[in-house]
Parts: sequence; C-alpha cells; structure tokens
Amino acid sequence: MADTTPPKRSRSSATIPPLAPEPPPPMSVPHSGPIPVAMGPDLSPVDAPAPHAPNLPAEPIEGEDAVSMTIDGEVVVVRKGTNVLEAAKRLGEDVSHFCYHRGLSIAASCRQCLVEVEGMGKLQPSCQLAVQDDMVVHTKNDRVAQARQDMLEFTLKNHPIDCPICDKAGECTLQRHYMDHDQSLTRVDVAKIRKPKHKDIGREIVLDAERCILCSRCVRFCEELPQTGELTMIRRGDREILDIADGHRLDNAYSINVVDICPVGALTSKDFRFAVRAWELRATETTCPGCATGCSVELHSKHEQAYRLVPRFDASVNGHWMCDEGRYTYKELDPATRTRFASIDGRQLPIAQALAATAKRLQGKKTAAVFSSTATNEANRALAALADHMGADRFVLGRPPGKADDLLRDADKNPNTRGAHAAAGEVRHEAELSLQIAGRAYEAVIFLDDEGEVSGVVRSSLSSLTSVILSDRRNALSDACTIRLPAASWAEHVGTYTNRQGRLRVIRPAWRPEDDRHPRAELVRELLLALGGRDIGTAREQARAVAEEYEHEELLALLTDPQPTRPRLLRFGNSRG
Amino acid sequence: MTITVKKVSLKRTASDQIYLPAILKGLVTTARHFFKNTLTKGMGDVDTIRYGEPDVNVEDYYPQRFRGVHRLMHRDDGSVRCVACMCCSTVCPARCIYIEAEDRGGDEEKAPKSFVIDELKCVVCGFCVEACPCDAIRMDTKAHMHPTETRADAVLGKLDLMKRGTQSVAHQGGVGADFRTAAPKADPRFEHDPR
Ligand code: SF4
Ligand code: SF4
Ligand code: SF4
Ligand code: SF4
Ligand code: FES
Repeated sequence: MADTTPPKRSRSSATIPPLAPEPPPPMSVPHSGPIPVAMGPDLSPVDAPAPHAPNLPAEPIEGEDAVSMTIDGEVVVVRKGTNVLEAAKRLGEDVSHFCYHRGLSIAASCRQCLVEVEGMGKLQPSCQLAVQDDMVVHTKNDRVAQARQDMLEFTLKNHPIDCPICDKAGECTLQRHYMDHDQSLTRVDVAKIRKPKHKDIGREIVLDAERCILCSRCVRFCEELPQTGELTMIRRGDREILDIADGHRLDNAYSINVVDICPVGALTSKDFRFAVRAWELRATETTCPGCATGCSVELHSKHEQAYRLVPRFDASVNGHWMCDEGRYTYKELDPATRTRFASIDGRQLPIAQALAATAKRLQGKKTAAVFSSTATNEANRALAALADHMGADRFVLGRPPGKADDLLRDADKNPNTRGAHAAAGEVRHEAELSLQIAGRAYEAVIFLDDEGEVSGVVRSSLSSLTSVILSDRRNALSDACTIRLPAASWAEHVGTYTNRQGRLRVIRPAWRPEDDRHPRAELVRELLLALGGRDIGTAREQARAVAEEYEHEELLALLTDPQPTRPRLLRFGNSRG
Repeated sequence: MTITVKKVSLKRTASDQIYLPAILKGLVTTARHFFKNTLTKGMGDVDTIRYGEPDVNVEDYYPQRFRGVHRLMHRDDGSVRCVACMCCSTVCPARCIYIEAEDRGGDEEKAPKSFVIDELKCVVCGFCVEACPCDAIRMDTKAHMHPTETRADAVLGKLDLMKRGTQSVAHQGGVGADFRTAAPKADPRFEHDPR
C-alpha cells in the first residue's frame, strides 16, 4: 500500500521563492540533560515535485512555437503541441468531452469531443488532435452538433439515469452535456443492460458500474498519479465494466480524487455518499490545513457545516489533486465540538469580560507563549507581539508528524510550521515545554491553538496555573486549560499560512464565526491592549500587512474587496469532473 | 393628453359628523340579511358548508385537485416510496421540508432516514408534489391540517406522513421501457468478486 512508503522527497534548497522571508535557523536548547537535542523542524524550503499536469490551458504565445489556426472563423495562435480542444477553449468554446482531463494522459475513448477539420473526411476527436498551421476547425456546425447528440444518445443507451439518487446529480458532466447538446427523449425500447449497482471497491470508494460511461479517467489516474493501477476495464462491448484488478482494493492514499474526476456518479465517496445534495452546497476557495504542502482546495459547506473538501487547480502546489487524509480535515469543523463561548474555571463569560479577566490574571506572571504551527501567520505574529510585551518564553506546538510520499503529502502535518517559526523567532524545544509546565516553571501559559500532543501529566498540571487557550474546538488540551477563549476556526476568517515551499497560502471564511468566536489574531490583540501593549491592528489589518510583505496580489484584492470571499453556491458552479 | 380634474367635496354634513345615522343604516342592512337568511327556506343566498353535520361530506365540496395535508406513499413491501432525492425540499418555497438520507441497501439505494414537514410553515403550494420524481409525496388527503395544541404537534415526521399513505401503483421510471423490472438480472459473471 502506498501509505507505507517512507518519505523520499528531496529537500534541496534550490528553489526558494524570492518573496519568502528567511526561516530562522534551528535553535539550540539552553540546557541539555533528558531533553532531546534535535532542534526544531527542518525548515529549509522544499523543492516540491512539480504537480503532474500534462495538459495545461493554452496561453497566448508568439515566436517559433506559435501555431496559427482558425476555429469557427476566428484565428487563434497557440503553442505547438496544444490540442484543438484547449485551443478552442481559448476562444471560449467549451467543446463537450468526457474522457479528456487536463491532469491525465489522453485516451480519446469517449468521442464526445468530435470536431470537423477541413480537409479531413471524418470528424476528429479534438482532445487528441494537435494543432497545425492553417488548420480550419468547426466546433459548432450541424454535422458536429449531430455527432455530439448521437454520441450522447449512445452513452445514455444503458445509463440508468437515476439522477434522483445519484450523488453526482447537480454537478454531473453527463447531465450538463445532455442539457446543452441533446435534450431529446429516449428511443430505447429494449431492456437496459444491468450491472453491479453498488460495489465496495476500496477504503473510501463505492462503484456503481451502471452509471460508469467507461471514460477510463479513473483507470488512468491510478496508473499515472499514485501509480498503483488498481482499476481496470474488463469485458467488451455493452458488457464492459470498470472493476478492481484481481486481489486489489482501491486503497491508495489519493483514491478520492477518482470521485472528483469521474464525469458521472459511478464512483462515490463513502464519506460524502447521501450526505447532502451537491446543489445545496456553497463553495469557498481555501487551503487544506492537513499538512505543510497546503493544497488549494474548495470547502463545500451548508448552514455553517462543512461537508467535504475538493481540490482546486493550482499549478505551483498541488496540480488538480489532494490526498485522502487532507479531505478529512473538515471533520475538525464539526459544530458539535465547537468552542462557542469563553469560559474561566468552568464558568461561561461574555467575551469582553473574559478578555479583561484573562489580562488581569496574566499581568506580571512568568509566562510561556506557545505558538502554533496550525494557526495562521497573523495569529502567530500577534502572539509574538504579546510575548515581546510580556517577556514570555516561546515554544511552538503542532501536530505530530505523519506519513509522507513523493506526490503531495508532507510528513509535517501542520500547515504553517514555517510561518509559526518565522513569527516566533528564537524558540525553545517542544519537549522542554512539557517538562517546564510539569515542573511548575511557569505561572502562566498561553496556547495559541488546541492542536498538538501534550501528555496527561502536563494536562493535569495545567489546571493549577493560569493556562489560557485560544480554542476553536473542545479536545483534551482545551478542556485541561483553566481559561478557554473561543477562537474562529480556519473556515471562519481570512488568514494565511506559509507552506513548505515558502509560498503564502490563503484561507477564506466559509461562514461567519458564530457566537463569541473571533479570529485568534483579534483575541491576542485584545489581550495585548488590555495588558497595556501597543495596538497591532485588527486581524484584517494584520493580514494586509502579510499580503503586502509577500506582495500577494490575490490576498490584497481580497482584503480590499471582500466580494470574492463570499462563498459561491455550487448550483451555479457547473459541473466538476 | 388632457388631464381632467374631478373635484370632490370633502365637506361633512352635520349628520355625517354625528355618525349615528350611518351606524343605524348599517345595522338595518345586517338585520335585513339576518332575517332573510334565517327565515327563508333553503338558506337564502348563503352557501355555507355545514362542517361536522352527519349528512355533510366535506370532500363533495372540494375540487378534485384540492391540496390537503401531506402524505407519503408506500412501496409494495410497505416501505417508504421516497428515495430522499431532496427535489421537494429544494423546490419548497417555504423551506419546510427537512430530509436526512440513509442507505436503503438494495438497488434503490437511498431512503429517507427522517422526513419532516413543518405544516405551519407550509404555504400549501403543492410544488413538492409536482417535483417528486417517484410519486412519493402527495397532498390528496382532502384533509386540512387539524389544529394542534403546540407548534411541535404540527411538525409531521416520516411515520405520521406514512400513516396517511397507501401503496402507490405509479410506474417508477415513467413511461417507456421499464428496464428495472423488464431487464434481465445482472449477469452473474458480474457478481464475481476477486476478493
Ligand atoms: S451520473 Fe449524472 S446522469 Fe447519471 S444518474 Fe448520476 S446525475 Fe444522473
Ligand atoms: S468510473 Fe467514472 S471515471 Fe471511471 S471510467 Fe467510469 S465514468 Fe470514467
Ligand atoms: S406544499 Fe409547498 S410549501 Fe408546503 S411543503 Fe410542499 S412545496 Fe413546501
Ligand atoms: S421529491 Fe419525492 S422522492 Fe424526492 S425527497 Fe421529496 S418525497 Fe422523497
Ligand atoms: S474527450 Fe476526446 S475522445 Fe473523449
């Protein structure tokens, strides 16, 4: 299984993006003894593997490689080797297709993308046809339209059309093409071929072979990305079905991607199956907080509840894909475990009172400031200002390392290790934190986030000191602290992470923070003000400072005009896959 | 275009200002209708349906497509016909249908784990019935939502709705070849599982 592959990724320092601030050098711990002397994580920028994206959208081009051709009477100039389908897309023509996917090799098996090329007798599959100089292509004439309609009728011949119970309905490519190009009644008056309706083919995936249109995208995915090749086509003709290879299960670490690329509802994810209809969801463009890679994702939510994460194309980080582990980070957003109100010694308080009381208790105490590699850059920077003001000792806490591989997953399961260390500056080792707390070396401790493993002994000693936690959900650590301040989760505010490549990754709000929840940066600012410190600005102002520092135009635009931060109803988002 | 102006006198006479003549006029009209309708045989020009009287069947007075309180239909095996497609809850303008889906097992796959209609919110538009692809929800009970003591009593769950339901004989999948029942069973070779 791919899961067991040890981390192999090369960590050369060849390609640090120019705008990333230098990460701090590894720290040495002031005293040795039982404390491990391995200092801090390896923060050298990672030369992440280029995401596999063989077919990129056509870009405007000049010079030797340029090929000029005519599509529907318009001249378009594209790079040599581009296929006609992408060239047409440059003109805004969306040639209907099923089997072609930008992130996969080209199979040309569905024949949905046929176009007419002058001088070639038969219609040609545009996904496989490379552009040539002076080619004249028609993508919309009657002959092509008829071919599209005929291909759709053929595809639908044995299709069960059980859209009402199909998880893909509302974002199904077959539905969309039917509405755009066919819209005719069925002429089938013989029984349809029946195939296995729900077959458990892997840890995450259920197959409905009837709905499969045999485009082979999923087969190519398994061969080309995780390179495990579990899926295969068996039999021929109208009995052909997708199946798992003998003795295998679709258990690779990237298996849920096949659900996204499947143009129909043949492959469904067990986690999302029947949970909600696609058109009820709202999509927010954000970043996966599952590991240091920081894949671009969409968070799909309804009524302040998250339902799934799906990958979003990002050429420089994750291509079209994301890992299965990362998909489940949305479970952290479970409304049942949210910290909604501040509590001090188990008593619930309004946030303003709680902040004032917290500042009073922290005043003049010997404090440990625990930065978090799961919190945003803004939060970590705010805590750095607070630690400066209080003269506190600094630590960085994060999730324990996990599995890594060559594709996307990083062993560091925190989205912002680089950012946290950059903000914290000189830190003491994580292991020392437990010792010091258990040894009563501090009178107070401030945790920026509730992630991270802390032993039971430490947790029990937290109750006897002023332990403040900025927590977005209830877990063992947040329950152990005496003062709990309700923080907004990563789905509730604008913020930034710095990923392993040193790139700035933006998270956006999918809904407003409920009740007393506020962004961590804002809570820390309030504490700092109450302690008589300087004003470091609101969370938004801090995010703007980060954006300006990195010259991140997308984030700057986002902070200037919040319109694009609003989630988009998937109903108008058209199909995926 | 010429604009014509009509002048209306707003001057009130003394009898207007003491109101009493107008009140008396009104009372006379009411009394006239009262006596006419009470004393005339056959109830005069009043068309009141006498709810609750033994010989009166309310349904006789209702149009064929009267929309009453909802019901959920049954399959042959008595299970709920609904497949939890959420078409009704999506189309409902009052947003008063709440459905949670579950796996039914078998080829129909999906079924509602819970199906709740808040009859107080319902605007009785009938869109849900129109939207349903499998004749699962109907409003043909010819019954009004009865008054309830608490609001919660007017929120009907799956069992309440199914109690009013009967078996539907509607053909699933619409007109045309019924591939579900006419089709041969899945080829046994497909059932081969390498594990
Ligand atoms: S795959 Fe698409 S067309 Fe087929 S049943 Fe599902 S939603 Fe309908
Ligand atoms: S399961 Fe989906 S992706 Fe795979 S071949 Fe069938 S239609 Fe294509
Ligand atoms: S009748 Fe109209 S308002 Fe009432 S449940 Fe149906 S769709 Fe909703
Ligand atoms: S439209 Fe019909 S089948 Fe679909 S959820 Fe509503 S009642 Fe059930
Ligand atoms: S997309 Fe070109 S043949 Fe399938």
